Formats: sequence, C-alpha cells, structure tokens
Amino acid sequence: MTARAGSVFVIVAIAALGAAPFWAAPFTITLLNYIGIYALVALGVVLLTGVGGLTSFGQAAFVGIGAYATAWLTTAQGVSPWLGLVFALILTGIVAAFLGAITLRLGGHFLPLGTIAWGLSIYFLFGNMESLGRNNGITGVPPISFGSISLEPTYAIYYLIWGLLVIATIVMANLLDSREGRAIRSLRGGVVMVESLGISVFRVRLIIFVIAALLAGLSGWLYAHMSRYVSPAPFDLRMGIQYLFMAILGGSGYILGAVVGAALLTLLQNALQDVLPHFSSNGEQLEVIVFAIIYVLALQFARGGMMPLVLRYLPRQAEPPIAAAEPLPRRAMPQGGAPLLVVERLLKRFGGLEAVSQVGFEVKAGEIVGLIGPNGAGKSTVFNLITGALKSDDGKIFFLGQDITRAGQRRVAQAGIARTFQHVKLRASMSLLDNVLLGTYLRTRAGFVKGAMRLDRNEEARARSEALSQLKRVGLGDKPHDQAGNLPLGRQRILEVARALAADPALIILDEPAAGLSRPEKIALAELLRGLRKEGVTVFLVEHDVEFVMGLVDRIVVMDFGCKLLEGTPAIVRADPRVQEAYLGSVV
Amino acid sequence: MRPLLQIEDFHVAYGKVEAVRGVGLTMQPGQIVTVIGPNGAGKTTLLAAAAGLLHSRGKVIYDGVDLERLDVEERVERGFCLVPERRELFGDMAVADNLLLGAYTRRRNGSDVKQSLQQVYARFPRLAERRRQKAQTLSGGERQMLALGRALMARPRLLLLDEPSLGLAPLIVREIFRIVASLRDLGVSVLLVEQNARAALETADYGYVLEMGEITHEGPATMLAHDARVVTTYLGGSD
Repeated sequence: MTARAGSVFVIVAIAALGAAPFWAAPFTITLLNYIGIYALVALGVVLLTGVGGLTSFGQAAFVGIGAYATAWLTTAQGVSPWLGLVFALILTGIVAAFLGAITLRLGGHFLPLGTIAWGLSIYFLFGNMESLGRNNGITGVPPISFGSISLEPTYAIYYLIWGLLVIATIVMANLLDSREGRAIRSLRGGVVMVESLGISVFRVRLIIFVIAALLAGLSGWLYAHMSRYVSPAPFDLRMGIQYLFMAILGGSGYILGAVVGAALLTLLQNALQDVLPHFSSNGEQLEVIVFAIIYVLALQFARGGMMPLVLRYLPRQAEPPIAAAEPLPRRAMPQGGAPLLVVERLLKRFGGLEAVSQVGFEVKAGEIVGLIGPNGAGKSTVFNLITGALKSDDGKIFFLGQDITRAGQRRVAQAGIARTFQHVKLRASMSLLDNVLLGTYLRTRAGFVKGAMRLDRNEEARARSEALSQLKRVGLGDKPHDQAGNLPLGRQRILEVARALAADPALIILDEPAAGLSRPEKIALAELLRGLRKEGVTVFLVEHDVEFVMGLVDRIVVMDFGCKLLEGTPAIVRADPRVQEAYLGSVV
Repeated sequence: MRPLLQIEDFHVAYGKVEAVRGVGLTMQPGQIVTVIGPNGAGKTTLLAAAAGLLHSRGKVIYDGVDLERLDVEERVERGFCLVPERRELFGDMAVADNLLLGAYTRRRNGSDVKQSLQQVYARFPRLAERRRQKAQTLSGGERQMLALGRALMARPRLLLLDEPSLGLAPLIVREIFRIVASLRDLGVSVLLVEQNARAALETADYGYVLEMGEITHEGPATMLAHDARVVTTYLGGSD
C-alpha cells in the first residue's frame, strides 16, 4: 500500500468511526464503547510505562476509584453525573498523588511490585465497604445528560467516549512534543543525565503518574454511567495487567498504540468468547490460556507492538522545518579573571579508598583549564563532585562565590554549570535536535498545561532555533532529525557538547571530549572551545590527548592517586619530572 | 601461504543507508593489520559485521572457511573474537569471573582454562592483583586490559580490536599498544581499528584507510605512515 492509499484509508476509517451509529449493529457500538473506555486507560499506560519507563500493574484500581466515586455520589447524594466527574477526578488525583509520593522513589522491580500491592488492596477495599455495597456493588447509577439530551442510548454515549478519547490523544501528542514532554521522554535510561540538565526526575514522574491515573479515573466515570452499575470485579489486578498488555500489544511507545491495543484485545476477547464454547465447556479458562499464548508470542516476536506495522501503512509526517527565531535570553557572563570555581580540600571516599583526597584548585572566569592524570586518578570523581552527581565527604566547592558543596545536580545546573559525561549519556532513540533541546530546559518555562494546550509554540520555536544553531556550531547541523544512537561514538560526545552549550553555561565541564575523534575533528573542537573562551565561557576539561590539551588550555591541574600533583601552565607541567613519570611516560 | 582472513565485496547497511560499501581486505596469519579513517567512515560497523553481529552482504573467508552460515558463537569457537569499543564488561562480576566467561566456548577442558587464566595474569599483573574486585571498580586502562584478557581466554587466532586506546592516558596507551604488538609472538593476528592513527601504523604490518565506507588507500604500514595525504589528514605534525 502506498502512502496515498494509506491516507485514503485513514480518512475512510475516521468517517466510518464517526458514522458508526448509523451503520453498525448496537452490539458493535457497545464493543466500540468498551474499546474507547479501555483505550483511555491504556493511553495513560503508554505515557507512564512506554514513554516514562514506570511499569504499573495497578491502573485498574484508579478506574475503580473514578467509577465508585461517581456512582456513590450520584446515587447516595443524587447529584448530577457532571459533579460526579469532578469528584471522580479529584479523588483519583489525590489518591494517585499520595501513592505516587510514597512509591515512585522505589527503583527497579520494587515499583511494579508496589503497584501490584495497592492494586490489590484498593480492589479489596471496594468489596468490603458497606457504603459501597460490598461485593454487590452500586446499582441504579444515572446516565449522563447534556441539558435535556440524555446519553443513555448506546450510540449517544459513544460520541462522548470517542470525543473524549480523541481530545485526550491530541492533548497527549501535544504534551510529548513540548518541553516537559521531552523531559518525560528522557526518563528512560538513567537519571543522572536528566538531573544534570536541571530536570527534577521525581516531579516529572509524579506528574505523569497523576496524569495516567486521571485518564483512568475519567475512564471509570464513563464506565459507571454507561453500564449504570459498578461492582469490584472489573477493577481487579487481572484487569490491571490487561491494561498494561493493551499498551504493550498496541505499541507502548506510541500514543495510537493505546487505541490499537485496546481494540485488538477487546475484539480478540469477543471473538474467543464466541468461538471457544464450541470446543470446550470451560471456555473461560481456555480463554486465559489462549491469551497467555498470545502474550508470550507478542513479547517474543513483536516487542514494539503492532504500531510499527501500522505505521508502515500510514502517511509519514514530514518533520517541521526549524525556522530562525528570536534567540533565547542569555546569561550575563562573569567578569573575566574573577575566581569562578573554587575547590577547597575536597575529599571523597569509596569504601576504604580515598578516591579524591584533599584536592584544591581555582578556575578563573574566561580560562580554559585542563585536568589530567592517569586513569583512575580521580578526575571524573572530581567532576562528579563539582556537578553534584556525587556528594563529597569533606571540603568545599564555591561557584561565583556561592557555596554549592551540597547543592545537588539541579541547583548546580541552575547556577550555570553544564557538563558532558565520560561514558556518553544520550537518548539514543531521540533525534539529535531533541537531545540538544533537553539542554535548553532551564532556559525555557512552558509547563505541562501550556505544552498540552500548545500555548508554548513561540518559546518552542526559539528553543528549536537555539538547538539547531548549537548543532551547527559543533558541526552536526546537517541531519538534526536523525537518531542520536546512529552517530559514531566520537560524534556522540560532540553531541553532548552541543547539549551542554544549549544550556548557556558560565562554566562548561567536559569529560574527555576529544576521545574517539579524528585529527581534523579534534582541531575543529579546539577551535570551538577557543571561540567559547572569547565569549566569556569558562571551560574545564579532562582529556588524555596531550597534544590537544597542551595546545589549548591556559592552565593544567595534574592529579595522581586521588591527590593534586601540581598545577601550572602547559610548559611547566610538561617539564615536570613527576608528570613525565606518572603520566606522560619518559619520551614526550 | 593461505590468508587467515579474506573479506571480499563486503557491504553493510543500516536500513537504506550503506555504511560499508564493497570493502575488500586480506590478512596473513600472524599479521597485525590496521584500519584507520575518520569518524563515521564505517570502521566499527565493519568489525561488528565481520564478527557476525550485524547483517552483511559479501564474503568473509576465515582460515579457508566461508563464515556466512556461522553465527557469532560459532565464529568465537573458531577463534574469531571481537573486543568492542565500549569494552562491554560485566561490571557487577569479579575480574576473574569476567575472564572465565571469556573461555565459555572452551568449557570442556577445565585444567586448560586454568592454565590460560594464569597466562593472562602473567601478561596483565594488574588484573591478577585485582582478580576479586568487581569489574566496574577498575580504571579505564585496567578495563581495557580486562577486555583484552577476556578475549585471549577464548584462545583466539584472530582478534578484532575496536579503539583499544579510547579514553586512556598516554602511558597506558603505550602499554596497550605494546601488548597488542606482543600478541604476534602468541601467534594471534590482530585487526585493529584506531583513531590514534600514528600509534596504529607504528604497531601494524599493513594498513587500510576507510573513508565513507570504502577503502581509499592501502599498503604496508610504514609506507602509509609516509603517504602525504595520510600524514596531513590523520597524523598531523609532530606528536
């Protein structure tokens, strides 16, 4: 199928869905209603698990909270379902914020285990509360109505469900394409880099957790007023697992994967319920087994879900051009020659070993300073202490006169220090442009709501223009939309330099920027760093290429076995016999 | 003499982009051959595909056998080993266990493996000192030694080394190249990819220049080291 046939197919499919009540049997509409309701929950799972990397088995519990909240309020208090919606969302949001605050700091497999725990307990809570009708549930939930129009008929609520789903999908797409969306997409694969850009990992995680729960709560509200009855069964852990599999089967990295997965699973379940009874009287048990087999096969052969397959037939959206825009505001650079970074008696122990021991030095504004020494001398540890990635055991670090010894990575980034890493930390599946855009996080303001409502376009255009100019500056401007992971290792380091530059730092800390670069590329890098010095940016770098360092820097600090060996101009350092013995080797 | 490795009309593509285009390369037993070239020329891709980690087109004949149908494990069993750019150690495991895993394909003769382990320790005394330490606590130079030592545990006849000097201090770089050169005495041939072209050409017998996925120059290493274009592009002035 060609792209053109693909777009025709998309238009026909949308028209068919829109007109479904006019051509489809009532049962088909009911199925579509369920698909929409499930897809809302799965959409949250895509955000949380597929994009944000937090696995939750407990989303069904949030659906239950939303459903029970509105069912109780509209039956016991007799108020309008719209008030029920407000109550459902508030309650789900509060519970999610509370659960998130206590479980999201758990790492590894403890978080999924935690979601199982509260998924189970909330389900049992429904079944044991007298006011919620115990296991019998709540009956007589009123239908939703718009003024005098009742949404009681199946086809009427169909439009509400799918209308909300379409809106949720669009809002989600907007969000992921925004400043906070990039922060969400950067969560997978290590938090040190994310925090070094000034992004609060915990805050972003908590917010996407609450968003996913609110989508589940919305789905629960629709469910309660569609089926007019709630009981604990549809909100049990098994359902929680199903929502996760909907997202995975559809393609958990894609927004539309939620819809595709929900549709696939619902239709499959329906088909099996038609077919299996012909083979066995234990149809229900057989269904579980068939699904188990499908899951295993899907995990084995289609990790990315169905979306990669679907996308092949959909028209591909061209990347929007990156237009020149008003530059982002820049920081006032400190007066050249003033002490910028002061390190005093810095000490760091790993177990019994003193990795950094009583190290002190000063970097002045507008200088390029090199930190050299044998592998294992403690250079990267010093960098990690300055940038807050590690906490020192003793000593002081001042930046622009401000004590940043215990500041932590985010405050260090805010103060104006940007860095690259010895072992490259990029997001391989994000584009070069998006990786550099991450660097502009602290220079931009648009939050979740602005991003989701697309009110951030002006700022976003400025950030994109800035990111592209940094890419061009380091020589990677020709293919900004390529995936970062496709770059050779040496150029990935240079991409990290562009990301650091996008933060408009007063001090840029580079950990082996020239490793893996060819000679012409090293010459270009040195030229770039000299250009930065002219702009008033201070550069502090670790590098093993002696020629590169000696030709570039104003001063050198030499470390060996965790201690400072000496500091001075390149000529002094080169002539020092201790340096020759420990680092350079006899022949230089 | 029959060449140890013969690569002919070799192509590797990522999707529609061809990263290696029609490369041909020959190695004699006991030779050290280097491939130099700019970033993104396809050097890492070439090594990974030759080791069977990436899909490729063309012929790879190793010791007279066409490797087309052999997967990575079978290539390793025949002594064809890759030491990747990122070293890929098992950080949570002890140095000794990392080394023993290198001998995984030779699991049948236990005492033999112990003997290899002693040989590796003799070659890299630093690793012997640190045999009980976790690999992630090693310094950059020690990591590279461990990666090399682990590859030697497979009793290779051909080692593919991807940027062994990456991120290492000058003294250690010299040490690593000395070790690479000494592999000749073990009868191990080396296909060496390096950004440090000067050291690579000093160590190797023969060299190829790979640019934009194609071989543009080749010749004995001493000749390449004096080739005017290679000098200006890859070696620069005095080092």
